[in-house]
Amino acid sequence: MIRFVLRRAVAAVPIGVLVTLGVFALVFAMPGDPLRELAGDKPIPAAVLAAKRAQYHLDDPFIVQYLLSMKDILTGHFGTTFAGADIADQLRLRIPVTLKLTLLANAVQWTLGLFFGIYAGFKRNGWVDRSLLLATLVLLAVPGLVAYFAAQYLFGVELKWFPVSGVLEGFPRSYLLPALVIGVLGFAGLARLLRTSIVETVNADFVKTARAKGLGEQRVLWRHILPNALLPVVTFIGLDLAGMFGGAIITESIFNLPGLGQFMFQAIKLKEGGVVVLLSTLAFISFILINLLIDLLYGVLDPRVRNV
Amino acid sequence: MALGLTLVLASCGDGKSSGSGSGSGSKSEVIAIAADPLEYINPLNENGSPGIQVAMAMFAPLVTTDPETGKLQNVMADSVTPDKTSQTWTIKLKAGNTFQNGQPLTAKDYVDSWNMTAMGSNAWKNNGFFSKVDGYDALNPPTPDGATPKPTAVKTLSGLKQIDDLTFSVKLKVPFSQFGLTLQYLGLAPLPEEVRKNPDAYKRKPIGNGPFKLAADWNAGDDIKLAKWDGYKGPLVPQADEITYRFIANADTAYNEFLAGNVDFVDVPSTKVKSFKTDAPDQWVTSISSGANYLVIPAWDPRFKNPKLRHAFSEAIDRKAFADLVGLSEPAKGLVAPDMAGYRDNACKYCDFDATKAKQLLQEAGGFSGPLNINYNTSSATGQIFAEAIGNMLRQNLGLTVKYTGKQGSEITELADSHKLDGLRFSGWGHDYPSIEDYLTPMFKSNGDANFAQYANPALDAVLAKGDAEPDPDKAIKLYQQAEDIALEDMPLIPLYTKSNAYLHSAKIEPRVSKFVGVSALWATFK
Repeated sequence: MIRFVLRRAVAAVPIGVLVTLGVFALVFAMPGDPLRELAGDKPIPAAVLAAKRAQYHLDDPFIVQYLLSMKDILTGHFGTTFAGADIADQLRLRIPVTLKLTLLANAVQWTLGLFFGIYAGFKRNGWVDRSLLLATLVLLAVPGLVAYFAAQYLFGVELKWFPVSGVLEGFPRSYLLPALVIGVLGFAGLARLLRTSIVETVNADFVKTARAKGLGEQRVLWRHILPNALLPVVTFIGLDLAGMFGGAIITESIFNLPGLGQFMFQAIKLKEGGVVVLLSTLAFISFILINLLIDLLYGVLDPRVRNV
Repeated sequence: MALGLTLVLASCGDGKSSGSGSGSGSKSEVIAIAADPLEYINPLNENGSPGIQVAMAMFAPLVTTDPETGKLQNVMADSVTPDKTSQTWTIKLKAGNTFQNGQPLTAKDYVDSWNMTAMGSNAWKNNGFFSKVDGYDALNPPTPDGATPKPTAVKTLSGLKQIDDLTFSVKLKVPFSQFGLTLQYLGLAPLPEEVRKNPDAYKRKPIGNGPFKLAADWNAGDDIKLAKWDGYKGPLVPQADEITYRFIANADTAYNEFLAGNVDFVDVPSTKVKSFKTDAPDQWVTSISSGANYLVIPAWDPRFKNPKLRHAFSEAIDRKAFADLVGLSEPAKGLVAPDMAGYRDNACKYCDFDATKAKQLLQEAGGFSGPLNINYNTSSATGQIFAEAIGNMLRQNLGLTVKYTGKQGSEITELADSHKLDGLRFSGWGHDYPSIEDYLTPMFKSNGDANFAQYANPALDAVLAKGDAEPDPDKAIKLYQQAEDIALEDMPLIPLYTKSNAYLHSAKIEPRVSKFVGVSALWATFK
């Protein structure tokens, strides 16, 4: 297993280089001058522009800029953003915010998804199953932006059950409403996947064998069907969780949560290649780690694919 | 990461008492700013509206505009006196003012702070202000492309001289009668010596000379909490005892925070212009104007050379309909904002909607061949809508073929600067100091700071120079009006509309509304 983990870690290095280089190239290729974007409509004297350009290496060729950024990331000398923020400070502030939001949102999503998925899978074509199908269609059709503002207005402004925005009330209160909305918008997909997976497994030969051996229905469901049906769901959950570590840009903006998503948005707006690459690297690393965990978990659930 | 967690958890305790319901008798207000949080407070290195807004509470300018009369009023200055030619200005400070660290405020603080800002290699944002001062070029030598500007051997502006503890003089490159007005810009506030020695160490603990000081440590991600500072002796002392600035990047979220009663003052975002009066009845105010907005015709493009063509475009635009579309707006009748001394509401002779006259002018100009391109800013929610509205008017009233191109704002500026932008675009301007000169010089003087159209006319430059050298304010205004007339005849910018800003305020405060300086929550009165 250690060999497997090491192999994965080594394989991640070239992928990491490709990803960071690609992201940096995308930011570099974006039209417009970052310093102008920062200044808005105000004129900036030539001397100030030149000094700022030099400070942020904007005069250097693409590959030099990329290497300088990577050097900063690898040595931990993050420096400051164009707007003057200390990047290390920002990470210390923002990583916990994104972590709390992601974990809470996923907790909501998994709870709802697993509960409704299992119920619908075991009681096919019952009213829960049918409502779930309807709910899936409705929830998938609601744009996040609308749902977030509607929830904020209804539960924050009108009913005052939750804070409207910000993190002043701390964890979990400040994170509950955005996490609930993310969870409710996202659980339907998970539930549908689990239901389908259960339906497929129910007809598998080993389930028939188990029934033929006279095992009780509850035991067949929980010990034979569910572990097998969960395999694709674990993959789905892993990808979903990893994706959310990149930061939920729209949610964080609407609920004014100072997480990585808002940081990423500011950096893209100002074409700050260094910051975008730093955040992409963080997202990449968490993606690799979570995938590794998922693969190891697979082995636990399914001995056939155990990586020894 | 663990450190981060404790930081955030530790900061959960405070802040709960903020919001409007304190009711303890102390006058406190929470002001929402719809922008990304500030990373430092240093007025000399700040030209954005959020930063200046906060700095305004903590720093005091030399002079300011009296919100009642619109006249210039001394704050830190005791007198500001030009010589006969308006080229050398002597500024005498009031005695007895100090910084919030207790050090007396002296002429040396101004001279040294200004020299620091004027030094190009420091890259401070208000560097450009000093380009009018004698000796600026020595501190800002041209840098070859790609080179790092080095601190120059000369460290001081030759035009800046300390005369005694409380007096200093500024010698300008050329006479400038409006210089006294420019001194109210908050970006000229002084920094005390300990901050000047190491500005980076004071990014988050500014030491000002204004009515408020930091009430608590201000770390990344915190609201900015200010408390009244007893040492401020200037005029115009705000009523508030405590002010909290809360940054909410999403303007619609900030608006919802107001509706929930958590903040006392908020800007109405463009998405709520149609609904704010019903959302918060009796709790809104509007300003007269926030500058003026234009359609830019590139002066470098020979297809638009004929002034009659430009006038034809102008006559084809139904400004009333357009202003209604924008919302909270009035049709523009000249090139300067309506709240300026020297504004004339009949300045523009080509701004009344008249399709027949427009067609006739277009014919006299020899028509316009090929499609007309209108550029709009894709990062503005309304960019495309406005472009299509103008495009439709030109198409219907002049029979032109119109196409539209959406780009990032900074890309449009860059293309225009290199003369590669095809066709028209939108622009707007708000003054830094209340003089019509601050519209005409930046936008219409050859090589002006904000000369969107890259327009140049020696006759206009000459009239502006005459106005700049005219010590009598009324005569100076007459000369600037002449410059406006020339610009309207040439029409590199077509006046479109002037827009009001709207704000919501809680029932416990009444923001100060001035015809001259707009709406202010800082100087709100408490009920």
